[in-house]
Amino acid sequence: MRKAYPGLAAAAVAAFAGGASAAELGASGEPIKLAINEWTGQHVTTRVAGEMLKAAGYEVEYVTAGMMNQFQAIADGDIHATLEIWSSNVSDEYAKKVAEGTVVELGDLGLDAKEGIAYPAHVADLCPGLPDWKALKDCAQVFATADTIPLGRLVDYPADWGTPGADRMAGFDLPFKAVPAGSEGALIAELRASSERKSPLLITFWQPHWAMSAYDVKFVDLPVGNEECFNDPAWGVNPDATHDCDFAPSRIFKGGWAGLEEKWPAAYQILTNYQLSVEDQQPMMGAIDVDGGSVEDVVAAWMSQNEDKWRPVVDAATK
Amino acid sequence: MSRATPPVIACQNVWQVFGPNAKAALADALARSGGDPQAAAGLLGAAGLIPAVQDATFEVGEGELFVIMGLSGSGKSTLVRCIAQLLEGTSGEISIEGENVVGAGKQRLTRLRREKMGMVFQHFGLFPHMTVAENVAYPLRVQGVDRKRRRARAQEVITLVGLQGREGAYPRELSGGQRQRVGIARSLAVNPGIWFLDEPFSALDPLIRRQLQDEFLNIQGKLRKSIIFITHDIAEALKLADRIAIMRDGRIVQIGTPTDIVLRPVDDYVREFSRDVPKGRHARVASVMQPTDRCRPGPDDPGLRQGMTLDVALARCMDLYEPVPVWDDRGACVGAVNPADLAAALQVEDT
Amino acid sequence: MTAAHGRPARAMAAPGVRAALVALLAGALCLALAPRFAWLGQWPDAWTLPLTQWAGTAVTWLLEAIKPLAREFSALMRHPMDWANLALHATPWPITIGVTAALGWYLGGFAMAALGAVGLGFVVASGYWTESMNTLALVAVSVPLALVVGGAIGILANEMPRLKPPVQALLDVMQTVPTFAYLTPLMLLFGFGPVVGLIASAIYAAPPMARNVLLALERVDPEIREAAVMSGATRAQQLFQVEIPSGASQIMVGVNQCLMAALSMVIIAAVIGGFNDIGWEVLLTMRKAQFGQSLLAGLVIVVFAVVIDRYSGTLAGERRRHDRRVVYLLLALSVVLTALFWSSLADAATFHVLTPVAEAVDRSLTAFTIANGATLDAIKNNAMFFGLLPLRIGLDQAVLPFTWGFAWTGTMSWALFAVAAVLCLLLIWRGRPAAGLMAMIAAGMLETGIADLPWPFVLIGTAALGWVAAGWRLALLSLVLLSSILLSGLFGRALMSLYLSGAAVFACALVGGAVGWLAAVSPLAWRLVRPLCDMLQTIPLFVFLIPVLMFFQIGEFSAFLAICAYAVVPMIRYTRHGLVSTPPDLIEAAAASGATDAQIMRDIRVPYAAPTILLGLNQTILYAFAMLVIAALIGTTGLGQSIYLALGQADVGLGVSAGAAMAILALLADRIVQGFAAERRRALGL
Repeated sequence: MRKAYPGLAAAAVAAFAGGASAAELGASGEPIKLAINEWTGQHVTTRVAGEMLKAAGYEVEYVTAGMMNQFQAIADGDIHATLEIWSSNVSDEYAKKVAEGTVVELGDLGLDAKEGIAYPAHVADLCPGLPDWKALKDCAQVFATADTIPLGRLVDYPADWGTPGADRMAGFDLPFKAVPAGSEGALIAELRASSERKSPLLITFWQPHWAMSAYDVKFVDLPVGNEECFNDPAWGVNPDATHDCDFAPSRIFKGGWAGLEEKWPAAYQILTNYQLSVEDQQPMMGAIDVDGGSVEDVVAAWMSQNEDKWRPVVDAATK
Repeated sequence: MSRATPPVIACQNVWQVFGPNAKAALADALARSGGDPQAAAGLLGAAGLIPAVQDATFEVGEGELFVIMGLSGSGKSTLVRCIAQLLEGTSGEISIEGENVVGAGKQRLTRLRREKMGMVFQHFGLFPHMTVAENVAYPLRVQGVDRKRRRARAQEVITLVGLQGREGAYPRELSGGQRQRVGIARSLAVNPGIWFLDEPFSALDPLIRRQLQDEFLNIQGKLRKSIIFITHDIAEALKLADRIAIMRDGRIVQIGTPTDIVLRPVDDYVREFSRDVPKGRHARVASVMQPTDRCRPGPDDPGLRQGMTLDVALARCMDLYEPVPVWDDRGACVGAVNPADLAAALQVEDT
Repeated sequence: MTAAHGRPARAMAAPGVRAALVALLAGALCLALAPRFAWLGQWPDAWTLPLTQWAGTAVTWLLEAIKPLAREFSALMRHPMDWANLALHATPWPITIGVTAALGWYLGGFAMAALGAVGLGFVVASGYWTESMNTLALVAVSVPLALVVGGAIGILANEMPRLKPPVQALLDVMQTVPTFAYLTPLMLLFGFGPVVGLIASAIYAAPPMARNVLLALERVDPEIREAAVMSGATRAQQLFQVEIPSGASQIMVGVNQCLMAALSMVIIAAVIGGFNDIGWEVLLTMRKAQFGQSLLAGLVIVVFAVVIDRYSGTLAGERRRHDRRVVYLLLALSVVLTALFWSSLADAATFHVLTPVAEAVDRSLTAFTIANGATLDAIKNNAMFFGLLPLRIGLDQAVLPFTWGFAWTGTMSWALFAVAAVLCLLLIWRGRPAAGLMAMIAAGMLETGIADLPWPFVLIGTAALGWVAAGWRLALLSLVLLSSILLSGLFGRALMSLYLSGAAVFACALVGGAVGWLAAVSPLAWRLVRPLCDMLQTIPLFVFLIPVLMFFQIGEFSAFLAICAYAVVPMIRYTRHGLVSTPPDLIEAAAASGATDAQIMRDIRVPYAAPTILLGLNQTILYAFAMLVIAALIGTTGLGQSIYLALGQADVGLGVSAGAAMAILALLADRIVQGFAAERRRALGL
């Protein structure tokens, strides 16, 4: 779990609050390349930003890129910005590139994210007492499988995202063994199988995510923690362990090529100030993943109906 | 065979040893055995090396058809590859038309092959992706001869081997006999003076084989190449050869005319070869007559010639008991032969 | 070894017995001393060297050094990619289909033309036309690159026999190091974008070409070679005018394999992105656990693979000539149709004919999981409790009251060893001492579990096996290579990988052997099995992860099944091929001796097929290792996971080390099995 750069984030927010003045368009003849990662929410986020840049008079190109592997490309200037980086799930590569000075952060996206230990709603029937975390103490057996017996089974994030689930189980001294999933697909398959078969499942998950509503996923209530919870064992319900508290809120932020500001000053400003809320993003994701709409159409519809939400950001940078 | 001209091919103490550090090992073995080839070969064999050709020495004259005969594994194919420089001999001297070729550079060898040598292979060695005409013209193509001239020349040799009409066929579409005709035509394309034939007819059916042997003799009659011909078939060797070298386990055990081989085998091994050969058809009167120039022709002189085979001679003088004179082609008396000796020569292997 | 070869039968066992004895002794010592010396059981962390970091530093330094050159190359390769892209996208799809069908007719007549037309028709109907053309553009550039590089390597190795062993080793490495392991370094080197996928697929696809070129050149009839020499050809003339053309059919086999390998790798490289190809589509749908859609996208790849495979397969055989006029007719027809319907010609990307089918497949998957949940759980639990778990952690830990119904005790351990000892004595008495000793070793391994095997036993046992298979060189090699894994601290993970792939290989050997045997006996069975084999080998395996996960959840059993699905194919193919290709005169001789069909199978066909079957086993092992990395997407521990970690974190050192460890395991297994196969071939005089 990488909790990155509160300092940088504060600086970005300050820049926004201070109000931006109009900037030069820069090399508007050359396309600005935006990364398209592997999930729908990111597609929405990126398309909206891209349309805003077009409205400002830029050419935009969308380039598919693996979330984990895009940072080298951004550092090289092959991709110019990526607009939905999750602090809970960002490779060390990003930190390295930022330290190198080849990648810069472009501020918060404004998506309100939450991570936690979760379960599909029907599991509450199998383990009465949920969502209170203490209920898990007694119904660990319900979650036991061949791999974990006699312990209960917690499906954790893929190993390269960190092991927050395992940390919680140790922190709360719960009789669960964390099994790392291999990929996001594996997590979704678990959720899908569980809700279809009404079988028990405890899983580390996050929102916003289309699967939260699709499979009616609930979070386990964990005691709210602070910095000390992660450093001082004495803090919290378990005096012998750290991590005996809920997840620290994830940041979702944007990142870009270091040369962005110089080459396309206005674009840099637009992307830095660009924000998108869960309330805006989630319905668009639903319209795509559940109702089968295309990203282009759904985003175009939103853009025309919500001009008041994005036009000011474009105008601030260009007028 | 008369030796009016210097030899076209001369081999002097040629060795081919397979194995690691063959050159040094051979030198060492020769030193330790005091130069005795057989003892040296024994030492090499004991050390795990394979002395495939041991101390081969012979010459091939111009226009001569020299046959190397031996069983498989006797080293005959290895020897011819040494001479053609397909293998680099371990030791010894090989000269072609008086020019030493051992250690010759790549370019010189290529030139030598382009100008002077042709070779025919047991399994034909045809290029599967080329037509008959392209196969035959290939030796000209590598020299950069232009298409028109090489097509004309290819047509000549194809006609010579009797394959006209099949120029556009691929090797896979031909019978075995036809394929070897292509092989022969290709080896003659550059009109080389030296012709190597490595068991050219061994892979063919007996009937086809005889037919090709006859045609081969026919072609050789016209072209008079200097030939080294490899075979494992004694009948073939005796039929074709001017002289024969018999090889056994890497050694040449005897070199001689067909008659020598049949009537005067040097050891049991050679005798064993000629055992089933109808001697009367191969040995000639000259080999059993007593040379003399004082003939006393009787009234019933059967008129023996020195080039007659024993069979023919014996048929003429079966009922005579006295020595009869032998004449040469010009009618001069060259010797006398006792009919009893003729009969005895045919029985020679039974002793 | 050489001394033993001379004597027949009984003496053959001699090195085997000695090796087994050494291994048994090492194992017993470890077992006895492990309680007193902890370092025997587990390699202490303090003894590991920071090899991973060193590798990272060294490789990064090297990459930085050649980076400018690589970037130049990268820029250069963009041109042909752009051209291919432009050509494929600008051509209206009916014309593309027409050209494909015409090519099919030219290559193989009606059957091929129909295959091409129907195949591409399916692609249009799937709605993945644009993505498919992107993929094709990549293949269109990467394959020629792989062909040239592979061909050059093959020729070089042929011209300089001294280079053969290092080149063979290099090819092995190129094929056994998982692509994922070098994606990160490649990206550092060549920059982001399709060029990385291009290079990765060329790296993976070049070895089959190189091997086949080398094989083709080695197999040129010596007389043909000599005929070229005697024709007075220079070396270059011999090579390019005679040797290469006359080995064309073997080289075409290489071209075919090269195409298939490139195609399969292009998909893997999609993980990086940058090209919006069909592999990316598979990843997206897989991330959403949409089985139907991902199956559809996967089938598009299968279609390409099958068309390319069959088309290029005709090049390897002798070609019949087909009427050229049909070619022109097909081309003209497609042009005319396109022109006629130009205005109403739909954009290929807008077809979604098959979407309802995909959705139906998805729904049926759901229905199946709901209906059979309990059965699936039972299958999984039994396999875990009674198969995989004991294999991994040993009977002493796997046998628990709530799995087997009782607890494992020390007495039971002794009983197990006693049974093994009796079996061992029995086998020795029957004259098979090596088998007897192996029984003892197996009992020890069953008690301990593969993941907990003491390292000295693994090292010594592998070396002993290598010695029996191929002599002391291999023994030494395995010692050195395994030690390097030990020192790098990846040994525990390597054992986990070994356990999982070992279990899969074992299962594949049984199932694949049986199916291969069935396919050899019954042509009908082969007709059914063959397309299945084709599909399993070409469909991106990501696709199958979803149903496997939904049936059996994240865990070893799912990974085990995924590996088996892929690795069983060569076992089936080679077993069948070996059994079918027994020379008919052998079978006739046996039949004339009065043997029944079963006896012929047991006494003639199986022994004769043994070397081929061993080669199949060898391929199965290599496939199982290759699949380990993909199986890590399900969630396994072991080297596969390390490689993913490294890819995610752009940790060059870890990626290279874990990839190397994986390659080492695969290489050793390969060499050992090859050694035994060569031994069998020699024994049969093949």
